[in-house]
Amino acid sequence: MSASPPIFDIDLKIPLQEFNLELAYSGSPRSLGLFGVSGSGKTTFLECLAGLRRREFGQVAFEGEPWLDSTKGIRIKSRYRNVGYVAQDHLLFPRRDVRSNLEAGKKRLLENGLNFEEVFRNVISILELETLLDRKVELLSGGERQRVALGRALCSGPRLLLLDEPLASLDTGLRLRILPYLMKVRDAFRIPMVVVSHNPLELQALCDEVLVVSRGRLIGKGSPDEVFSAAGVFELAKDGGFENVLTGTVLECNNRTDTVSIGETGGSVSIRVPTTGEEVGQRVFCSIASGDAILSVQEPAGLSARNCLQGKVEAIFDSGSSILSRVEVLEGGPAMIVELTQDAVDDLKLAIGSDVYIIFKTNSVRILV
Amino acid sequence: MGCIFVPGIAVAYLLSRKEFVGKHVLSALATLPLVLPPTAVGYLLLKVFAERGLLGRETLGFDVGILLTGKAVIFACSVMAFPIFVRTAKLAFDEVEPRLEDMGKTLGMGGCRVFFSLSMPLASRGLVAAILLGFARSMGEFGATVIIAGNIPGKTQTLASAIFTAQQRGDDDSAATLLWVALIVGFAIVYTTERLSMRQASVGGSRK
Repeated sequence: MSASPPIFDIDLKIPLQEFNLELAYSGSPRSLGLFGVSGSGKTTFLECLAGLRRREFGQVAFEGEPWLDSTKGIRIKSRYRNVGYVAQDHLLFPRRDVRSNLEAGKKRLLENGLNFEEVFRNVISILELETLLDRKVELLSGGERQRVALGRALCSGPRLLLLDEPLASLDTGLRLRILPYLMKVRDAFRIPMVVVSHNPLELQALCDEVLVVSRGRLIGKGSPDEVFSAAGVFELAKDGGFENVLTGTVLECNNRTDTVSIGETGGSVSIRVPTTGEEVGQRVFCSIASGDAILSVQEPAGLSARNCLQGKVEAIFDSGSSILSRVEVLEGGPAMIVELTQDAVDDLKLAIGSDVYIIFKTNSVRILV
Repeated sequence: MGCIFVPGIAVAYLLSRKEFVGKHVLSALATLPLVLPPTAVGYLLLKVFAERGLLGRETLGFDVGILLTGKAVIFACSVMAFPIFVRTAKLAFDEVEPRLEDMGKTLGMGGCRVFFSLSMPLASRGLVAAILLGFARSMGEFGATVIIAGNIPGKTQTLASAIFTAQQRGDDDSAATLLWVALIVGFAIVYTTERLSMRQASVGGSRK
Protein backbone atom coordinates (compact mmCIF):
# COMPACT_ATOMS: atom_id res chain seq x y z
CA MET A 1 0.00 0.00 0.00
CA SER A 2 1.34 3.36 -0.89
CA ALA A 3 1.68 6.00 1.78
CA SER A 4 -1.03 8.64 1.73
CA PRO A 5 0.02 11.80 -0.09
CA PRO A 6 1.11 14.81 1.95
CA ILE A 7 -1.55 17.38 2.79
CA PHE A 8 0.46 20.09 1.09
CA ASP A 9 2.67 19.54 -1.91
CA ILE A 10 3.65 22.92 -3.21
CA ASP A 11 6.24 24.13 -5.66
CA LEU A 12 5.29 27.61 -6.74
CA LYS A 13 6.80 30.48 -8.59
CA ILE A 14 4.77 33.67 -8.56
CA PRO A 15 6.00 36.77 -10.36
CA LEU A 16 5.43 39.82 -8.16
CA GLN A 17 6.25 43.43 -8.91
CA GLU A 18 9.72 43.55 -7.41
CA PHE A 19 10.70 39.90 -7.14
CA ASN A 20 9.46 36.38 -7.70
CA LEU A 21 7.97 34.46 -4.83
CA GLU A 22 9.47 30.99 -4.95
CA LEU A 23 8.24 28.48 -2.48
CA ALA A 24 8.60 24.73 -2.36
CA TYR A 25 7.14 22.74 0.49
CA SER A 26 5.79 19.31 1.09
CA GLY A 27 4.41 18.12 4.39
CA SER A 28 1.38 17.30 6.47
CA PRO A 29 1.21 19.67 9.41
CA ARG A 30 -2.20 20.17 10.95
CA SER A 31 -1.66 23.85 10.60
CA LEU A 32 1.01 25.47 8.51
CA GLY A 33 2.25 28.96 9.20
CA LEU A 34 3.87 31.36 6.78
CA PHE A 35 5.85 34.12 8.36
CA GLY A 36 7.29 37.18 6.68
CA VAL A 37 7.36 40.94 6.96
CA SER A 38 4.81 43.03 5.03
CA GLY A 39 5.32 42.88 1.29
CA SER A 40 7.00 39.48 1.31
CA GLY A 41 4.26 37.93 -0.79
CA LYS A 42 2.30 36.15 1.93
CA THR A 43 -1.16 37.23 0.82
CA THR A 44 -0.29 36.38 -2.78
CA PHE A 45 0.64 32.88 -1.66
CA LEU A 46 -2.74 32.43 0.05
CA GLU A 47 -4.56 33.76 -3.01
CA CYS A 48 -2.73 31.16 -5.08
CA LEU A 49 -3.90 28.42 -2.76
CA ALA A 50 -7.43 29.81 -2.97
CA GLY A 51 -7.21 29.84 -6.78
CA LEU A 52 -7.73 33.57 -7.07
CA ARG A 53 -4.66 34.40 -9.14
CA ARG A 54 -3.81 33.74 -12.72
CA ARG A 55 -0.14 34.28 -13.24
CA GLU A 56 1.57 31.67 -11.14
CA PHE A 57 3.73 28.76 -12.24
CA GLY A 58 4.47 25.41 -10.72
CA GLN A 59 2.47 22.80 -8.92
CA VAL A 60 0.08 22.78 -6.01
CA ALA A 61 -1.49 19.59 -4.75
CA PHE A 62 -3.70 19.32 -1.71
CA GLU A 63 -4.16 15.88 -0.16
CA GLY A 64 -2.90 14.41 -3.42
CA GLU A 65 -5.42 16.31 -5.53
CA PRO A 66 -3.75 18.53 -8.13
CA TRP A 67 -4.98 22.12 -7.88
CA LEU A 68 -2.42 23.65 -10.13
CA ASP A 69 0.05 22.26 -12.58
CA SER A 70 1.17 24.91 -15.01
CA THR A 71 3.09 22.41 -17.15
CA LYS A 72 -0.05 20.35 -17.73
CA GLY A 73 -2.38 23.32 -17.86
CA ILE A 74 -4.28 22.23 -14.75
CA ARG A 75 -5.88 25.05 -12.79
CA ILE A 76 -8.80 24.07 -10.62
CA LYS A 77 -11.23 26.95 -10.22
CA SER A 78 -11.56 28.59 -6.87
CA ARG A 79 -15.13 27.44 -6.37
CA TYR A 80 -14.16 23.79 -6.71
CA ARG A 81 -11.23 23.90 -4.32
CA ASN A 82 -13.37 23.89 -1.19
CA VAL A 83 -11.30 26.34 0.75
CA GLY A 84 -12.45 28.68 3.47
CA TYR A 85 -10.60 31.93 2.91
CA VAL A 86 -10.56 34.54 5.64
CA ALA A 87 -9.12 37.77 4.26
CA GLN A 88 -7.26 40.28 6.33
CA ASP A 89 -9.92 42.92 5.78
CA HIS A 90 -12.65 40.31 6.31
CA LEU A 91 -14.56 41.17 3.10
CA LEU A 92 -17.96 40.60 4.61
CA PHE A 93 -20.78 41.09 2.13
CA PRO A 94 -22.04 44.63 2.78
CA ARG A 95 -25.66 45.61 3.39
CA ARG A 96 -26.44 42.14 4.67
CA ASP A 97 -26.87 40.78 8.14
CA VAL A 98 -24.56 38.31 9.81
CA ARG A 99 -26.85 35.36 9.18
CA SER A 100 -26.93 36.01 5.46
CA ASN A 101 -23.14 36.25 5.41
CA LEU A 102 -22.82 32.96 7.25
CA GLU A 103 -25.19 31.33 4.79
CA ALA A 104 -23.26 32.49 1.71
CA GLY A 105 -21.50 29.15 1.33
CA LYS A 106 -24.46 27.02 2.36
CA LYS A 107 -24.98 25.57 -1.11
CA ARG A 108 -21.50 24.10 -1.25
CA LEU A 109 -21.72 22.74 2.26
CA LEU A 110 -24.89 20.89 1.28
CA GLU A 111 -23.24 19.65 -1.91
CA ASN A 112 -20.45 18.25 0.23
CA GLY A 113 -23.08 16.15 2.01
CA LEU A 114 -22.89 17.96 5.33
CA ASN A 115 -25.75 19.02 7.55
CA PHE A 116 -25.93 22.79 7.43
CA GLU A 117 -27.95 23.23 10.62
CA GLU A 118 -25.48 21.15 12.58
CA VAL A 119 -22.41 23.03 11.30
CA PHE A 120 -24.18 26.38 11.67
CA ARG A 121 -25.12 25.69 15.31
CA ASN A 122 -21.62 24.50 16.02
CA VAL A 123 -20.01 27.56 14.43
CA ILE A 124 -22.20 30.11 16.17
CA SER A 125 -21.67 28.45 19.52
CA ILE A 126 -17.88 28.20 19.18
CA LEU A 127 -17.51 31.72 17.78
CA GLU A 128 -20.26 33.13 20.04
CA LEU A 129 -22.19 34.68 17.19
CA GLU A 130 -25.72 33.98 18.47
CA THR A 131 -26.44 37.55 19.52
CA LEU A 132 -25.03 39.02 16.31
CA LEU A 133 -27.06 37.00 13.80
CA ASP A 134 -29.54 39.72 12.86
CA ARG A 135 -27.10 42.58 12.91
CA LYS A 136 -25.99 44.32 9.71
CA VAL A 137 -22.29 43.79 9.09
CA GLU A 138 -21.68 47.54 8.92
CA LEU A 139 -22.51 47.73 12.62
CA LEU A 140 -19.96 45.15 13.76
CA SER A 141 -16.74 45.89 15.60
CA GLY A 142 -13.37 44.67 14.29
CA GLY A 143 -13.30 41.58 16.47
CA GLU A 144 -16.88 40.71 15.58
CA ARG A 145 -16.17 41.07 11.89
CA GLN A 146 -13.22 38.73 12.23
CA ARG A 147 -15.39 36.12 13.94
CA VAL A 148 -18.11 36.44 11.30
CA ALA A 149 -15.56 36.10 8.48
CA LEU A 150 -14.21 32.98 10.15
CA GLY A 151 -17.71 31.65 10.68
CA ARG A 152 -18.67 32.30 7.06
CA ALA A 153 -15.65 30.30 5.88
CA LEU A 154 -16.47 27.43 8.24
CA CYS A 155 -20.12 27.39 7.16
CA SER A 156 -19.12 26.63 3.56
CA GLY A 157 -17.85 23.14 4.37
CA PRO A 158 -14.17 23.79 3.61
CA ARG A 159 -11.42 21.16 3.43
CA LEU A 160 -8.76 23.76 4.07
CA LEU A 161 -8.85 27.02 5.99
CA LEU A 162 -6.75 29.94 4.80
CA LEU A 163 -6.24 32.72 7.31
CA ASP A 164 -4.62 35.94 6.18
CA GLU A 165 -3.17 37.88 9.10
CA PRO A 166 -6.07 36.85 11.30
CA LEU A 167 -5.16 39.27 14.06
CA ALA A 168 -3.43 42.10 12.22
CA SER A 169 -6.44 44.36 11.85
CA LEU A 170 -7.17 44.21 15.57
CA ASP A 171 -5.56 46.14 18.39
CA THR A 172 -3.44 44.32 20.93
CA GLY A 173 -6.12 43.81 23.54
CA LEU A 174 -8.50 42.33 21.01
CA ARG A 175 -5.84 40.07 19.54
CA LEU A 176 -5.62 38.14 22.74
CA ARG A 177 -9.40 37.85 22.74
CA ILE A 178 -9.61 36.52 19.16
CA LEU A 179 -6.67 34.13 19.38
CA PRO A 180 -8.61 31.71 21.63
CA TYR A 181 -11.37 31.53 19.00
CA LEU A 182 -8.82 30.57 16.38
CA MET A 183 -7.39 27.90 18.65
CA LYS A 184 -10.86 26.58 19.38
CA VAL A 185 -11.64 26.45 15.67
CA ARG A 186 -8.41 24.57 15.02
CA ASP A 187 -9.17 22.03 17.72
CA ALA A 188 -12.91 21.66 17.13
CA PHE A 189 -13.11 21.47 13.35
CA ARG A 190 -9.86 19.66 12.64
CA ILE A 191 -9.56 21.22 9.20
CA PRO A 192 -6.01 21.76 7.90
CA MET A 193 -5.09 25.41 8.17
CA VAL A 194 -2.65 27.77 6.53
CA VAL A 195 -2.03 30.92 8.53
CA VAL A 196 0.06 33.78 7.21
CA SER A 197 1.22 36.48 9.54
CA HIS A 198 3.95 38.92 10.39
CA ASN A 199 3.34 38.30 14.07
CA PRO A 200 5.25 35.30 15.50
CA LEU A 201 2.93 34.96 18.47
CA GLU A 202 -0.13 33.82 16.56
CA LEU A 203 1.91 31.39 14.48
CA GLN A 204 3.51 29.98 17.60
CA ALA A 205 0.13 29.54 19.20
CA LEU A 206 -1.59 28.09 16.14
CA CYS A 207 0.89 26.26 13.94
CA ASP A 208 2.81 22.99 14.00
CA GLU A 209 5.16 24.07 11.29
CA VAL A 210 6.23 27.49 10.10
CA LEU A 211 7.79 28.62 6.83
CA VAL A 212 9.64 31.90 6.73
CA VAL A 213 9.79 33.96 3.56
CA SER A 214 11.84 37.02 2.94
CA ARG A 215 11.84 38.86 -0.39
CA GLY A 216 10.20 35.94 -2.10
CA ARG A 217 12.51 33.22 -0.79
CA LEU A 218 12.06 30.53 1.77
CA ILE A 219 14.66 31.22 4.45
CA GLY A 220 13.47 29.02 7.28
CA LYS A 221 11.32 26.02 7.98
CA GLY A 222 10.55 24.07 11.12
CA SER A 223 8.58 24.03 14.33
CA PRO A 224 7.65 27.53 15.56
CA ASP A 225 10.16 27.73 18.39
CA GLU A 226 12.99 26.45 16.19
CA VAL A 227 12.13 28.85 13.42
CA PHE A 228 11.65 31.99 15.43
CA SER A 229 14.82 31.61 17.43
CA ALA A 230 16.93 31.01 14.33
CA ALA A 231 19.38 33.67 13.29
CA GLY A 232 17.95 35.92 10.61
CA VAL A 233 14.37 35.05 11.43
CA PHE A 234 14.59 36.42 14.94
CA GLU A 235 15.60 39.74 13.46
CA LEU A 236 12.51 39.80 11.25
CA ALA A 237 10.33 38.80 14.16
CA LYS A 238 11.96 41.11 16.64
CA ASP A 239 9.33 43.82 16.44
CA GLY A 240 6.83 41.52 17.97
CA GLY A 241 9.53 40.13 20.28
CA PHE A 242 10.10 36.45 20.64
CA GLU A 243 7.49 34.88 22.85
CA ASN A 244 7.89 31.52 24.49
CA VAL A 245 4.45 30.03 24.04
CA LEU A 246 3.79 27.31 26.60
CA THR A 247 0.93 24.87 26.86
CA GLY A 248 -0.12 23.91 30.34
CA THR A 249 -2.81 22.59 32.62
CA VAL A 250 -4.19 24.53 35.55
CA LEU A 251 -3.08 22.75 38.74
CA GLU A 252 -4.26 25.08 41.41
CA CYS A 253 -6.18 28.35 41.62
CA ASN A 254 -5.07 30.75 44.30
CA ASN A 255 -6.42 34.16 45.00
CA ARG A 256 -4.58 36.29 42.52
CA THR A 257 -2.39 33.73 40.85
CA ASP A 258 -2.75 30.26 39.40
CA THR A 259 -0.30 27.41 39.26
CA VAL A 260 0.03 25.86 35.86
CA SER A 261 1.81 22.65 35.03
CA ILE A 262 3.75 23.02 31.82
CA GLY A 263 5.01 20.35 29.48
CA GLU A 264 2.81 17.90 27.63
CA THR A 265 3.27 14.94 29.94
CA GLY A 266 1.83 16.68 32.96
CA GLY A 267 5.22 16.43 34.65
CA SER A 268 6.28 18.11 37.82
CA VAL A 269 7.32 21.40 36.22
CA SER A 270 4.92 24.14 37.14
CA ILE A 271 4.87 27.90 37.03
CA ARG A 272 2.99 30.69 38.77
CA VAL A 273 0.92 32.80 36.42
CA PRO A 274 -1.60 35.61 36.80
CA THR A 275 -5.10 34.28 37.35
CA THR A 276 -6.31 32.49 34.22
CA GLY A 277 -10.00 32.45 34.98
CA GLU A 278 -10.01 28.76 34.11
CA GLU A 279 -10.83 25.86 36.38
CA VAL A 280 -8.39 23.27 37.66
CA GLY A 281 -7.60 20.74 34.95
CA GLN A 282 -8.26 23.13 32.05
CA ARG A 283 -5.69 23.57 29.30
CA VAL A 284 -4.21 27.04 28.99
CA PHE A 285 -1.73 28.75 26.71
CA CYS A 286 0.59 31.32 28.10
CA SER A 287 3.57 33.22 26.80
CA ILE A 288 6.74 34.72 28.23
CA ALA A 289 8.74 37.21 26.18
CA SER A 290 12.33 36.10 25.67
CA GLY A 291 13.47 39.45 27.04
CA ASP A 292 11.47 39.06 30.25
CA ALA A 293 13.32 36.00 31.54
CA ILE A 294 16.81 35.95 33.06
CA LEU A 295 19.35 33.17 33.60
CA SER A 296 21.33 32.39 36.71
CA VAL A 297 24.10 29.82 37.04
CA GLN A 298 23.47 29.40 40.77
CA GLU A 299 20.27 28.56 42.53
CA PRO A 300 18.88 31.98 43.38
CA ALA A 301 17.53 32.79 46.83
CA GLY A 302 15.44 35.61 48.20
CA LEU A 303 14.01 36.70 44.87
CA SER A 304 10.60 38.23 44.46
CA ALA A 305 10.20 36.51 41.10
CA ARG A 306 8.03 33.45 41.65
CA ASN A 307 9.23 31.32 38.82
CA CYS A 308 12.57 29.58 38.82
CA LEU A 309 13.00 26.60 36.51
CA GLN A 310 16.06 24.42 36.41
CA GLY A 311 17.41 23.72 32.95
CA LYS A 312 20.33 22.98 30.72
CA VAL A 313 21.61 25.25 27.95
CA GLU A 314 21.00 23.50 24.70
CA ALA A 315 22.22 26.12 22.28
CA ILE A 316 23.62 29.62 22.24
CA PHE A 317 23.57 31.62 19.09
CA ASP A 318 23.98 35.10 17.81
CA SER A 319 20.83 36.33 16.13
CA GLY A 320 22.33 39.62 15.05
CA SER A 321 21.49 42.21 17.67
CA SER A 322 21.41 39.88 20.66
CA ILE A 323 22.47 36.49 21.88
CA LEU A 324 19.78 33.89 22.26
CA SER A 325 20.11 30.98 24.54
CA ARG A 326 17.91 27.99 24.14
CA VAL A 327 17.40 26.24 27.45
CA GLU A 328 15.85 22.82 27.89
CA VAL A 329 13.89 22.87 31.14
CA LEU A 330 14.64 19.73 33.16
CA GLU A 331 12.15 17.06 34.21
CA GLY A 332 10.26 17.07 30.94
CA GLY A 333 9.67 20.79 30.72
CA PRO A 334 9.64 22.67 27.41
CA ALA A 335 12.52 24.45 25.76
CA MET A 336 12.60 28.18 26.31
CA ILE A 337 14.45 30.99 24.58
CA VAL A 338 16.10 33.61 26.74
CA GLU A 339 17.61 36.76 25.29
CA LEU A 340 21.06 37.68 26.65
CA THR A 341 23.89 40.06 25.96
CA GLN A 342 27.34 38.89 24.93
CA ASP A 343 28.71 40.32 28.22
CA ALA A 344 26.37 38.14 30.25
CA VAL A 345 27.34 35.06 28.27
CA ASP A 346 31.05 35.83 28.87
CA ASP A 347 30.72 36.65 32.58
CA LEU A 348 28.61 33.61 33.41
CA LYS A 349 30.78 31.43 31.15
CA LEU A 350 27.65 30.05 29.58
CA ALA A 351 28.19 27.20 27.18
CA ILE A 352 26.19 24.37 25.75
CA GLY A 353 25.42 21.98 28.58
CA SER A 354 25.68 24.59 31.36
CA ASP A 355 23.26 24.09 34.23
CA VAL A 356 21.16 27.21 34.65
CA TYR A 357 18.02 28.53 36.32
CA ILE A 358 15.47 30.45 34.27
CA ILE A 359 13.82 33.14 36.33
CA PHE A 360 10.76 35.21 35.50
CA LYS A 361 8.04 37.05 37.36
CA THR A 362 4.46 35.88 37.61
CA ASN A 363 3.34 39.04 35.87
CA SER A 364 5.71 38.45 32.95
CA VAL A 365 3.51 35.56 31.96
CA ARG A 366 0.71 36.46 29.58
CA ILE A 367 -2.29 34.23 29.46
CA LEU A 368 -3.38 33.65 25.87
CA VAL A 369 -6.26 31.29 26.52
CA MET B 1 -35.24 51.17 -21.30
CA GLY B 2 -36.01 47.48 -21.20
CA CYS B 3 -34.30 47.00 -24.56
CA ILE B 4 -30.94 48.23 -23.43
CA PHE B 5 -30.94 46.90 -19.86
CA VAL B 6 -29.60 43.43 -20.59
CA PRO B 7 -27.06 44.27 -23.33
CA GLY B 8 -26.13 47.46 -21.49
CA ILE B 9 -25.45 45.64 -18.22
CA ALA B 10 -23.50 42.95 -20.07
CA VAL B 11 -21.28 45.47 -21.85
CA ALA B 12 -20.82 47.54 -18.68
CA TYR B 13 -19.79 44.50 -16.62
CA LEU B 14 -17.46 43.30 -19.36
CA LEU B 15 -15.79 46.71 -19.55
CA SER B 16 -15.54 47.00 -15.78
CA ARG B 17 -14.16 43.54 -14.97
CA LYS B 18 -12.58 41.79 -17.89
CA GLU B 19 -9.43 42.34 -19.84
CA PHE B 20 -9.75 41.29 -23.47
CA VAL B 21 -8.51 42.12 -26.92
CA GLY B 22 -10.57 44.91 -28.43
CA LYS B 23 -11.80 46.21 -25.09
CA HIS B 24 -11.03 49.77 -26.09
CA VAL B 25 -12.72 49.29 -29.43
CA LEU B 26 -15.86 48.03 -27.69
CA SER B 27 -15.67 50.90 -25.24
CA ALA B 28 -15.35 53.43 -28.06
CA LEU B 29 -18.21 51.89 -30.04
CA ALA B 30 -20.46 51.92 -26.98
CA THR B 31 -19.68 55.60 -26.49
CA LEU B 32 -19.94 56.65 -30.13
CA PRO B 33 -23.65 57.67 -30.14
CA LEU B 34 -22.83 60.12 -27.35
CA VAL B 35 -20.51 62.19 -29.52
CA LEU B 36 -21.98 61.77 -33.02
CA PRO B 37 -24.61 64.28 -34.10
CA PRO B 38 -27.95 62.55 -33.37
CA THR B 39 -29.02 63.20 -36.96
CA ALA B 40 -25.96 61.27 -38.14
CA VAL B 41 -26.97 58.30 -36.00
CA GLY B 42 -30.52 58.63 -37.31
CA TYR B 43 -29.29 58.69 -40.88
CA LEU B 44 -27.09 55.64 -40.25
CA LEU B 45 -30.06 53.74 -38.79
CA LEU B 46 -32.21 54.82 -41.72
CA LYS B 47 -29.63 53.36 -44.10
CA VAL B 48 -29.50 50.13 -42.09
CA PHE B 49 -33.27 49.65 -42.12
CA ALA B 50 -33.84 51.00 -45.63
CA GLU B 51 -35.08 48.72 -48.41
CA ARG B 52 -31.54 47.66 -49.39
CA GLY B 53 -29.88 48.24 -46.02
CA LEU B 54 -28.17 45.69 -43.77
CA LEU B 55 -31.46 44.90 -42.03
CA GLY B 56 -33.72 45.95 -44.90
CA ARG B 57 -36.38 43.93 -46.67
CA GLU B 58 -34.21 42.92 -49.62
CA THR B 59 -31.36 41.63 -47.48
CA LEU B 60 -33.41 39.80 -44.83
CA GLY B 61 -36.22 38.65 -47.09
CA PHE B 62 -38.88 40.13 -44.81
CA ASP B 63 -39.76 43.55 -43.45
CA VAL B 64 -38.75 44.22 -39.83
CA GLY B 65 -41.28 47.04 -40.01
CA ILE B 66 -39.49 49.53 -37.85
CA LEU B 67 -39.28 52.73 -39.86
CA LEU B 68 -41.86 55.43 -39.08
CA THR B 69 -43.47 53.39 -36.28
CA GLY B 70 -43.48 53.51 -32.48
CA LYS B 71 -40.80 50.82 -32.54
CA ALA B 72 -38.52 53.20 -34.39
CA VAL B 73 -38.89 55.72 -31.56
CA ILE B 74 -37.91 53.07 -29.03
CA PHE B 75 -35.04 51.91 -31.18
CA ALA B 76 -33.64 55.38 -31.81
CA CYS B 77 -33.95 56.30 -28.13
CA SER B 78 -32.30 53.04 -27.08
CA VAL B 79 -29.32 53.60 -29.33
CA MET B 80 -28.93 57.17 -28.12
CA ALA B 81 -29.34 56.24 -24.43
CA PHE B 82 -26.99 53.27 -24.64
CA PRO B 83 -23.69 55.17 -24.04
CA ILE B 84 -24.83 57.02 -20.95
CA PHE B 85 -26.43 53.87 -19.56
CA VAL B 86 -23.29 51.78 -20.15
CA ARG B 87 -20.96 54.42 -18.74
CA THR B 88 -23.00 54.91 -15.58
CA ALA B 89 -23.47 51.18 -15.08
CA LYS B 90 -19.75 50.59 -15.60
CA LEU B 91 -18.99 53.13 -12.87
CA ALA B 92 -21.43 51.30 -10.60
CA PHE B 93 -19.60 48.01 -11.18
CA ASP B 94 -16.22 49.71 -10.75
CA GLU B 95 -17.30 50.71 -7.26
CA VAL B 96 -17.92 47.10 -6.25
CA GLU B 97 -14.82 45.60 -4.66
CA PRO B 98 -13.73 42.76 -6.99
CA ARG B 99 -12.31 40.90 -4.00
CA LEU B 100 -15.85 40.53 -2.67
CA GLU B 101 -16.60 38.61 -5.86
CA ASP B 102 -13.45 36.53 -5.32
CA MET B 103 -14.68 35.79 -1.83
CA GLY B 104 -17.95 34.56 -3.30
CA LYS B 105 -16.01 32.20 -5.57
CA THR B 106 -14.05 30.72 -2.67
CA LEU B 107 -17.38 30.07 -0.97
CA GLY B 108 -18.32 27.87 -3.92
CA MET B 109 -20.44 30.32 -5.92
CA GLY B 110 -20.41 30.04 -9.71
CA GLY B 111 -19.97 33.04 -11.99
CA CYS B 112 -23.72 33.61 -12.41
CA ARG B 113 -24.42 33.38 -8.71
CA VAL B 114 -21.59 35.76 -7.92
CA PHE B 115 -23.01 38.20 -10.47
CA PHE B 116 -26.66 38.01 -9.43
CA SER B 117 -26.27 37.66 -5.69
CA LEU B 118 -23.23 39.91 -5.14
CA SER B 119 -22.28 42.21 -8.02
CA MET B 120 -25.78 43.29 -9.08
CA PRO B 121 -27.16 43.99 -5.61
CA LEU B 122 -24.00 45.87 -4.61
CA ALA B 123 -24.14 47.96 -7.78
CA SER B 124 -27.91 48.39 -7.58
CA ARG B 125 -27.97 52.09 -6.71
CA GLY B 126 -25.65 52.92 -9.57
CA LEU B 127 -27.70 50.73 -11.89
CA VAL B 128 -30.88 52.59 -10.96
CA ALA B 129 -29.03 55.82 -11.68
CA ALA B 130 -28.01 54.38 -15.05
CA ILE B 131 -31.63 53.55 -15.88
CA LEU B 132 -32.80 57.01 -14.90
CA LEU B 133 -30.07 58.78 -16.84
CA GLY B 134 -30.72 56.57 -19.85
CA PHE B 135 -34.39 57.45 -19.61
CA ALA B 136 -33.60 61.13 -19.34
CA ARG B 137 -31.37 60.90 -22.39
CA SER B 138 -34.17 59.22 -24.38
CA MET B 139 -36.58 61.92 -23.31
CA GLY B 140 -34.30 64.53 -24.81
CA GLU B 141 -33.72 62.52 -27.98
CA PHE B 142 -34.78 64.38 -31.12
CA GLY B 143 -32.46 64.10 -34.11
CA ALA B 144 -32.26 60.36 -34.59
CA THR B 145 -35.95 59.87 -33.77
CA VAL B 146 -37.15 62.43 -36.26
CA ILE B 147 -35.14 60.80 -39.01
CA ILE B 148 -36.20 57.18 -38.58
CA ALA B 149 -39.57 57.57 -36.84
CA GLY B 150 -40.74 60.89 -38.13
CA ASN B 151 -42.90 63.23 -36.08
CA ILE B 152 -46.40 61.82 -36.37
CA PRO B 153 -48.67 63.16 -33.59
CA GLY B 154 -50.20 60.35 -31.52
CA LYS B 155 -47.91 57.82 -33.13
CA THR B 156 -44.25 58.71 -33.18
CA GLN B 157 -44.27 62.12 -31.63
CA THR B 158 -42.06 62.46 -28.54
CA LEU B 159 -41.76 65.20 -25.95
CA ALA B 160 -38.83 66.67 -27.85
CA SER B 161 -40.51 66.62 -31.22
CA ALA B 162 -43.79 67.91 -29.73
CA ILE B 163 -41.99 70.97 -28.37
CA PHE B 164 -40.44 71.52 -31.79
CA THR B 165 -43.83 71.22 -33.50
CA ALA B 166 -45.53 73.57 -31.02
CA GLN B 167 -42.80 76.16 -31.43
CA GLN B 168 -42.93 75.92 -35.22
CA ARG B 169 -46.72 76.34 -35.13
CA GLY B 170 -46.32 79.37 -32.85
CA ASP B 171 -48.33 77.58 -30.14
CA ASP B 172 -46.50 79.14 -27.19
CA ASP B 173 -48.87 77.77 -24.54
CA SER B 174 -48.36 74.15 -25.54
CA ALA B 175 -44.63 74.67 -25.90
CA ALA B 176 -44.42 76.25 -22.45
CA THR B 177 -46.42 73.43 -20.84
CA LEU B 178 -44.21 70.82 -22.47
CA LEU B 179 -41.14 72.79 -21.43
CA TRP B 180 -42.24 72.64 -17.79
CA VAL B 181 -42.80 68.91 -18.04
CA ALA B 182 -39.31 68.47 -19.49
CA LEU B 183 -37.76 70.70 -16.84
CA ILE B 184 -39.43 69.00 -13.89
CA VAL B 185 -38.85 65.43 -15.06
CA GLY B 186 -35.28 66.21 -16.10
CA PHE B 187 -34.44 67.91 -12.83
CA ALA B 188 -35.99 65.13 -10.76
CA ILE B 189 -33.99 62.50 -12.62
CA VAL B 190 -30.64 64.25 -12.46
CA TYR B 191 -31.16 65.13 -8.79
CA THR B 192 -32.04 61.54 -7.93
CA THR B 193 -29.08 60.10 -9.80
CA GLU B 194 -26.70 62.50 -8.06
CA ARG B 195 -28.01 61.32 -4.71
CA LEU B 196 -27.75 57.68 -5.76
CA SER B 197 -24.19 58.09 -7.01
CA MET B 198 -23.17 59.69 -3.75
CA ARG B 199 -24.47 56.79 -1.76
CA GLN B 200 -23.09 54.26 -4.18
CA ALA B 201 -19.61 55.65 -3.56
CA SER B 202 -19.89 54.79 0.11
CA VAL B 203 -20.42 51.04 -0.37
CA GLY B 204 -18.43 48.31 -1.97
CA GLY B 205 -16.43 46.79 0.84
CA SER B 206 -13.68 48.17 2.98
CA ARG B 207 -10.54 49.18 1.18
CA LYS B 208 -7.05 49.14 2.47
